Amino acid sequence: MTGEENNSAYWEGIRKGNKQSFFDLYNNTYFHLVRFGLKVTANDELVKDTVTQLFLQLWEKRQRLNEVTHVRAYLFTALRRMLIDQLEYHAKIDTAIERMSQQEVATELPYEEIIVRVQQDEELKRKLYHAMQQLTPRQKELIGLMFFEGYSYQQIAEHTSQSVKTVYNTIYNAIHLLRKLLK
Amino acid sequence: MDQNYRTAEDFLCDESFQRYCLGTDPSAITEWEKWIAEHPEATADIAEAKKIFTILNANQGNLQEQTAQLRDGMGRSALLKEVLAQEPKSRKLRNLSIAATIAVLLGITGIWTYTGTKKETPPALASTIQSGNEPRKTLVLQDGSVLTMRNNSTVSLSEGFGKSNRILTLSGEAFFDVTPDPAHPFIVHTKDASIEVLGTVFNVSAYPENVYTETALFRGKVSVTSKTKPEYKTILTPNQKLVVYADKAKDTAALKVRSLAVDPQDHKATEIAWVRSRLKIQDESLEQIAIRLQKWYGIEIVITDEAVKQYSYSGTFESETVVKALEALQLSYPFSFQMEQNKIVISK
Repeated sequence: MTGEENNSAYWEGIRKGNKQSFFDLYNNTYFHLVRFGLKVTANDELVKDTVTQLFLQLWEKRQRLNEVTHVRAYLFTALRRMLIDQLEYHAKIDTAIERMSQQEVATELPYEEIIVRVQQDEELKRKLYHAMQQLTPRQKELIGLMFFEGYSYQQIAEHTSQSVKTVYNTIYNAIHLLRKLLK
Repeated sequence: MDQNYRTAEDFLCDESFQRYCLGTDPSAITEWEKWIAEHPEATADIAEAKKIFTILNANQGNLQEQTAQLRDGMGRSALLKEVLAQEPKSRKLRNLSIAATIAVLLGITGIWTYTGTKKETPPALASTIQSGNEPRKTLVLQDGSVLTMRNNSTVSLSEGFGKSNRILTLSGEAFFDVTPDPAHPFIVHTKDASIEVLGTVFNVSAYPENVYTETALFRGKVSVTSKTKPEYKTILTPNQKLVVYADKAKDTAALKVRSLAVDPQDHKATEIAWVRSRLKIQDESLEQIAIRLQKWYGIEIVITDEAVKQYSYSGTFESETVVKALEALQLSYPFSFQMEQNKIVISK
């Protein structure tokens, strides 16, 4: 079964009041939802809390849930709506609102912008920004795929048509450089 | 698992270590917890690897911890419903339901808890520090936490502070940067509220002449409990503040969570404008800068090394704590500093 087929099965379970299905769906979609949220607004606390709220609401109205064909798309839409409400409420109506209100997400925040904006410490922000600029575009891409998107070495190798060994070495060297610059 | 780990890089590049950090793979978690316990010499490298992992992963969180929070939230909302169902007519509970609605609107994970009528009393007092007329006074507490008091404020440490407990009482206003220590919760009592800190940076305003205590949170999490209504407790997330009123007559409006007031000019919270320093430095020696920091934060700064005194800086430095200011200066020239209760010693 693919992840999405599993999700449909979990969804049916939730409608019948099955708690295990509820947590299974959460485990299966948590990182997808958090990444989706981070690309819209680089505020990790807000995103994580909103994902929790989304699932609490889901459980709350489990008996009134409709059948859904694309569970993940449904959750993305729900999360986006909740994030818009949150951002409006906090009067943080910045470009993120525009970005989200467009039906198709036209511009996502680039990886290095997300990781810098998520940091709250000004010094670390600055160091991280400069450190990321020292990496080659390839190094940045592979680091993003591995640590942000959660790809394995095998998946990155296939995705970028390189050998696993080359991918490993590129990432290792990038990490080595970052570690030195972040000290 | 490969037994030949030598550096933080080795850990970071290991896929099972990554799954351990994410909390997605129970067998990786067990293996790594065991490995870490057996290799105390690797503690520093492991900590560094975890820190870099969190940075590169944009704080996506740990699945196990997040699941625990979700369970916690479910438990609390079930409990709340139970309580509401039992006594729907009671005035107190009507307020609880209003509070719950507000909490959901704000998206607070902790929501509100109903913990009966447990009363917390501050323990016996040991030592008292007053800022007097100084605009700011900075203290380093025994546990490494740094606090900056505003003028006419008083902090009383309870007996055994830094050893058996981390409890203090505040009258006035102070900005806290608390060292995490899960075994000893850091608790601030004011006349209206008690604030339990879960490792964090925040500001508390509790003047005797005001009828409220305001808690503004910048990083981490704090939970605030009202003194007049100890059964109500709320958890703040960053960039929120909570106002607790002492006046029981203002019943329905007694607890309010709001966003921090942002200065339209520089987007910094105005709640802590009093503590944030802005140093414009043009070719000044560290000795001169230290005098300015000493004046601003109200803590003595001593430089023991002659060469270090002559380090020269230019630029604009903005920071909320004296530690952050010194760390910013360290980036240009390496020096070390040590914190003592009433002074900071800078050396080579």
